[in-house]
Amino acid sequence: MAQTLDLGSRIELVSMDLHFNEISIALYYPGSNDDPAYLVHTYSSLPGAAGRIETITESMRVLGGMETDATGLLRYPCGHAHTLATKRLFLEACKFDPETSLQLRPLSIFDKKANANILIENLGEGRYEARPEEDATGSERRTTVISRGLIRLGEMEEIEDQPNQSRFGCGQPHDALIGLLLVRAPNVRSAMREVEEMASRGVLSAPSNQE
Amino acid sequence: MTAAMTSRERVLAALKREPVDRTPLCNPTSMATVELMDLVDAPFPNANREPELMARLAATGYTELGFDTIMPVFSIIQESSALGCKIQWEQKDNWPTVRMSEPIWREPDDISIPSNLCTHPDTACVTEAIKILRRDYGNEVAIVGKTMGPWSLGYHCFGVEPFLLMSLDDPGKTKLCLDRMKKITIDFGLAQIEAGADALTLPDHATGDLVSGEYYERYLRDMHIEFAERLPVPIILHICGRTVDRMEFIAQTGMAAFHYDSKNTPEESMEIVRDRISLVGNINNPETLFSKGPEVVNAEVVRNLESGVQLIGPECAIPLQTSIENLKEIPRTVREWHQNQNSN
Repeated sequence: MAQTLDLGSRIELVSMDLHFNEISIALYYPGSNDDPAYLVHTYSSLPGAAGRIETITESMRVLGGMETDATGLLRYPCGHAHTLATKRLFLEACKFDPETSLQLRPLSIFDKKANANILIENLGEGRYEARPEEDATGSERRTTVISRGLIRLGEMEEIEDQPNQSRFGCGQPHDALIGLLLVRAPNVRSAMREVEEMASRGVLSAPSNQE
Repeated sequence: MTAAMTSRERVLAALKREPVDRTPLCNPTSMATVELMDLVDAPFPNANREPELMARLAATGYTELGFDTIMPVFSIIQESSALGCKIQWEQKDNWPTVRMSEPIWREPDDISIPSNLCTHPDTACVTEAIKILRRDYGNEVAIVGKTMGPWSLGYHCFGVEPFLLMSLDDPGKTKLCLDRMKKITIDFGLAQIEAGADALTLPDHATGDLVSGEYYERYLRDMHIEFAERLPVPIILHICGRTVDRMEFIAQTGMAAFHYDSKNTPEESMEIVRDRISLVGNINNPETLFSKGPEVVNAEVVRNLESGVQLIGPECAIPLQTSIENLKEIPRTVREWHQNQNSN
């Protein structure tokens, strides 16, 4: 009798969990267009594996502002999927040290290149603006970079003539998610490179293509 | 309509191009994934080195994914380890590889086959795993072993660049090396047959990117004919890449099947080999199985079925992060396609 489950599409995978016995943990999408929902799952039956899944689910709930139901399915209150942002949320939740306390990430970040704190302000209706905490030389370009970073990481929309603003398509606030994405927004290339490196592992090359 | 067959009967019939009740699902190379490793608690690298784990992980291809074969030899380095090559065993999420930058041989006279070739822990692991699988699954499923061909062993033991340069500069010396290394292929193959293998995959990486069809004819065709004669089970030759320029020669070898790459279309490949050798493979790994969804997998499987390809499976060892959903789509499509054929 087969033990594998029909959990919908697997949308992200951590092959080796850093915090629990190198088990593989995946984010599945058992939801539908009408009811977008996610499930964190492992096929490992090691003692403690189920607890690790609960911890990651809880981290996604807190760090991403998601809600859980009795079956462990994760959803956004807005009822939208936000798939790309959720992939990033899942990866960050898996990295999060379970020994440390779970806290919402702030809507500000110190940007080395601007040498200033950059704040993200919730303008309502899913719209966010990046601006420096105080006037700082060159910070205008950096707020644009950070805003673009949020757009790429969170599949957000651009706002015409407002390069330092971005908007969630659902038109609802997602402060927790913005705080989480903000950590990576100043250097999106590095985040993308990390994903590419993860994906390239485990692909067998012919001996002629190996080093 | 052929009467219902067991998985083993189906695979062995298709390898002889005899009638089957449905097209068999065959993986001549690895179907291991990190999620399946967790499911049966048999992670890499240990699943390449411990027979119980190797057998348990390999069996998931049959028990979980619904293929008609079990192929326990995930890697391509087991016999190279026994020969003394340095191996990087890697972690759960990556393949073990031979450190080809540190070759163990330079000249034909360096070739030395240790007396424990087939009893070394990394080769005995394979034969023990095959025995376990035969014990646990009897004759219900086809068990496929793997023995590396001398061209691949040349890369591992001499290094890729030195071996290819030798083939350009000194064909006589190259042929001598191949001739001496073929004993490794035969001895390890025979050991697996004795352990219970129903068929053997024989990877010999004269790949389309580095080796021409003319090279294949000059160096390998006759040796592959000899393998087909001396190894008394169906042999599945595996060569990656674009290989239509050598399929005519491959079809002349007497091997049972050719495990072919997605760089060759099913139509052109079937046209060349005609009824002289079965084809298996072609479902693309890095793009389709790894990155795309079930609908693309479905389309590639159907294309192979409609071209008359005798056995359906991935083109090579699947990426370790491949989703179970995509892998299950292969047997699902084959069964659905046959149901549709029967109802028409």
